[in-house]
Amino acid sequence: MQLEIITPDKKLFEGEATGVSLPGSDGSFKILNHHAPMVASLKKGIVKVDTTEGSQEFAINGGIVECGDNNVVVLA
Amino acid sequence: MANLKEVRIRIASTSSTQQITKAMKLVSATKLRKAQGEIVQMRPYAKKINAILGSLGENVSSDVLTPYMEKRALNHITFVVVTSDRGLCGGFNANVVKLTVSIIKEKYQEHAKAGKIKFICFGKKGYDFFSKSSYNTGNNNVTLFQKFNAETAFEIGTDVINTFLAKSTDEVLVVYNQFKNAATQILTAENLLPVDVKSLQIHESKAEHKSKVKKDYIFEPGMDGILSTLIPMTLKTQLYKAILDSQAAEHGARMVAMDKATDNAGELLKSLRLQYNQARQAAITREISEIVGGAAALA
Repeated sequence: MQLEIITPDKKLFEGEATGVSLPGSDGSFKILNHHAPMVASLKKGIVKVDTTEGSQEFAINGGIVECGDNNVVVLA
Repeated sequence: MANLKEVRIRIASTSSTQQITKAMKLVSATKLRKAQGEIVQMRPYAKKINAILGSLGENVSSDVLTPYMEKRALNHITFVVVTSDRGLCGGFNANVVKLTVSIIKEKYQEHAKAGKIKFICFGKKGYDFFSKSSYNTGNNNVTLFQKFNAETAFEIGTDVINTFLAKSTDEVLVVYNQFKNAATQILTAENLLPVDVKSLQIHESKAEHKSKVKKDYIFEPGMDGILSTLIPMTLKTQLYKAILDSQAAEHGARMVAMDKATDNAGELLKSLRLQYNQARQAAITREISEIVGGAAALA
């Protein structure tokens, strides 16, 4: 799936990912390929991105995630 | 001649002033480019927020009410005044201050008399004005621009939103210079809170309404939960954008002001040089005529 992690001053991540773990405000969850359309709010925590080359972690201060059409956008 | 010396001194001082204004213009041009870059960087973020708001809009019933939209009797007003820290940028700061004052005079005269208007000043110039005026200035972020980034803007945004939610203020207005291009600033006053649902979308590009199929979204944790995250985010982004815009506009305004100053100095120099040469010529002519006169007297 295509993943983007955007903050107001920069793009933290953009590209293919196999999965992403997110700190949802009701508990953390993971989005995998072809997830159903969803909008979820996030709390402060770590976003873990899994790609075929390995995984990366980003700290965010709350935000929102939208996914649909195998596109995931994290606004932090 | 004494006059000759005076003119020479003036030429020297004018040309050094010109050097300074020219340098300031170049510095502003560079800073403008940087500030514009920051605006460009913020754009995808604003766009995505708009897109999400747009797709939410299809699902939101219009009677959803969040605390951010609550319209209360106007007891306390907060003005967020965005100016620059430094002067020498034409009417940039004066215009913001003037607009703020005129809004107060028009709509909030009584609040002003009762001291119920609070100012949050970004930039030293606005603070200088309002702290010396009879208005009540609360806690202020005076020289914010020295270490300004998205985080500080968002923190202040959070503060503003919290004071609104705590009912210590009933309306928040932002007055700033919107950046159009290097030579043009659009003076803007925006209502930040209470939120008007229709105007929620950030004024950056109109959200592209692609003819996408209506998606059946899962909302986690529910529509209200999403809105209570999304609305503050939007507000903070709006504030951040206002500040970035003002920053770019400031450098643009300064660039134009300094360009004009350089031109004026050039013109002044031209006329001074003319004056200098005339005086020099007159002195030479007189000297020659004195010599000729002296020689004639001897002969």
